Amino acid sequence: MVAGNRPPLVGFAGEDLGYPRKRQHDQVVLPNLTLELHEGERIALLGESGAGKSTLLAALRERLCREAAWCPQQHGLVGQLSVYHNIYMGRLPEHSALANLWNLVHPLKRPWRDVNELCELLGLGGLAKRPVSQLSGGQRQRVAIGRALYQQRTLFLGDEPLASVDPHQALRLLALIDERHATTVIALHQRELALTHFDRVWGLRGGQLVIDAPASELTLGDLDALYPDANDQVTGSRDASNAWPTQASDMTSLPCSRGRL
Amino acid sequence: MSEASNAPAPHERRGWWSARTPGARLARHTLGLIALAVVLVPFADLAIHTRDPWMELGRMLRGMVWPAWGSLESPFTALGLTIAIALWGTLAGVVLGFPLALLFARSRLVRAACAFIRAIHELFWALLFMQVFGLSALTALLALAIPYAGIFAKVYAEILEQTPAAPRDALPPRCGRLSRFFYSELPLAFAQLVAYTRYRFECGLRASVLLGFIGLPTLGFHLETAFREGRYPEAGALLWLFYLLIASLPWWGHKRLIPLLLVGGAWLLGPWPSVDGALLWRFVSQDIWPAALLAGDWAGLDQWATRLPDLGAAVGNTLLLGLLGTVGALLVALALWPLACRHFGNRGTRLASHGVMIMLRSTPELMLAFIFLLLLGPSLLPAWLALALHNGALIAFLVARHADAVTPGMPGLSATGRYAYELLPRVYPGLLALLYYRAEVILRETAILGMLGVATLGYYIEEGFDYLMFDVAFFLLLITALLNILVDALSRRLRPREVPFEDSCIR
Repeated sequence: MVAGNRPPLVGFAGEDLGYPRKRQHDQVVLPNLTLELHEGERIALLGESGAGKSTLLAALRERLCREAAWCPQQHGLVGQLSVYHNIYMGRLPEHSALANLWNLVHPLKRPWRDVNELCELLGLGGLAKRPVSQLSGGQRQRVAIGRALYQQRTLFLGDEPLASVDPHQALRLLALIDERHATTVIALHQRELALTHFDRVWGLRGGQLVIDAPASELTLGDLDALYPDANDQVTGSRDASNAWPTQASDMTSLPCSRGRL
Repeated sequence: MSEASNAPAPHERRGWWSARTPGARLARHTLGLIALAVVLVPFADLAIHTRDPWMELGRMLRGMVWPAWGSLESPFTALGLTIAIALWGTLAGVVLGFPLALLFARSRLVRAACAFIRAIHELFWALLFMQVFGLSALTALLALAIPYAGIFAKVYAEILEQTPAAPRDALPPRCGRLSRFFYSELPLAFAQLVAYTRYRFECGLRASVLLGFIGLPTLGFHLETAFREGRYPEAGALLWLFYLLIASLPWWGHKRLIPLLLVGGAWLLGPWPSVDGALLWRFVSQDIWPAALLAGDWAGLDQWATRLPDLGAAVGNTLLLGLLGTVGALLVALALWPLACRHFGNRGTRLASHGVMIMLRSTPELMLAFIFLLLLGPSLLPAWLALALHNGALIAFLVARHADAVTPGMPGLSATGRYAYELLPRVYPGLLALLYYRAEVILRETAILGMLGVATLGYYIEEGFDYLMFDVAFFLLLITALLNILVDALSRRLRPREVPFEDSCIR
């Protein structure tokens, strides 16, 4: 789990993170951020939309680009190309330009076999030749994950990779991701999943890192604090939140996080 | 226009002229344009020089209604050559233009060069190459390929620029430019690139027909001869053949048939010239430049300038005809679009106006102008009519499609109410944007109409080539290109922005 004295994979010490804008000052989204990521950690990144999750992931990707497999929020798939080609793109730099071009005409033998095996694991068996534009939202999500897995890195960075798959599938995909990567940082909205299946939680609110603690020390109530809307809901209608178990220990018994996105 | 009158009146009732709504701005814009045209009309020579245009028109229409199919000599050779030139010319344009498109955003030099070769009409290029390669397939192919390379470079670059960035950003680092292009850019743009190439091929077909006007044995050659000699039934048959060719394009231009057509076309192309390198070099390095300039003799250059035709009048006529053509197209479009739109008339009127519009829009301006010229004699009038009708019909067609997609909010309005309150305010910004897109095309056509005897720049360019004054002709070509680039820049500034016209198939 958390490596005691080993140096972190990446660390931010009081840094301002943001995205550069043309001919203007950089837009700072996460001011004065202090954070460390250690090898072997499984981190859930929580926060409402616009809290800065994508900015943090982009910064991590920039620092770790050689080690990190990347699964972006909008998938970044090319709808006109087949599932096979989209997954193959994960290892585009490892082949020569000529091989890549020939692969568009006729699939290369080894990648074809590897990608098909991956497709079976992802529940995309038999779809390798199907253009991505003909797939459902959940299937596309799995293709995007497949592309990240195919990169075969030690670290996985995912921006809401489990957002549009059903809860059972989310667990299976998460297991697959964990099995193939030593370290993971995954942005997600399923709070229960964050507590049950991750070592550590980073919680962002309004550009501040307000939670950076082991998952075992947190409750759903702590996580609710990340979402201002959740508080309104609590005062508005108590029933809804009463229906949710609030102890983290209860969570382990739940097979999935259905309906609690 | 009417948009302004239904805008809420300003507090102090200053009238719509000073109103600040977008509608009022467009209305001022339009009325300004029309007023300018009205003020300048007296300077244009709009006289009718023929004695009895109506009788001649009657004879032509009779020729159209009863075409003489039997009197056509070898129409299929001409047809085949027309298609072969268009196909190979467009293909060569793609091959030349695609690499340029990749450099387009990065190199100012490439952008300037493309703007220049685009600004010169296909027929002028043909005139230029004819001096070296004669009446040959090479002249025809180059005449199409070179301006199309410039157009493809620009439009392809625009299409590629608009592809979404997400797939590119998702790629792992250090992918290599080529792999990145083929995996994350080309597939996203491919459908649009193909659609534009198809549209350009259709333009190429029309241009290929027109090459007949300067002597290449395409369909246009037979058309011009038949019209000039007054054999209208034969001309009618050829015209119908041309319309059939355009209308049946979706069938014979199917993507599976294209390779077959290319191979067959290559066999039909000809004759091929024997290229004399020394002659070509002399033409490029000496013939097209003033001798005094090459010798560095500035006093001699002054004298050379006196040999030029009256540039002021030629440029003035070109610009005037361009303006009149643009305004004419606006008026024609305003009058025609309701006729082809589902909100007005009945099935019969719509079908009829559709037919008329397809005819007007698929007949090249030069051919229309030629027909009007035979009717009305050599003045600006036939050229103006041709430009206004062709471009007006083209814009009206696109605007009618736009209006078809609109569902009126208030059912039961009268037709005029629907036109003025429901539809025109919605489609008008798009109409004006299209008009400004076409303004550049109109000006390019204006210059070329000079070849029919209208006193625009094209008249003097053709004269220069006829009298073997290549230096004068080339200088005038440069002026024409410069004028086009200026008008293009101007129309881009004036064009209404934020208009939902994504279609690149209008240029």
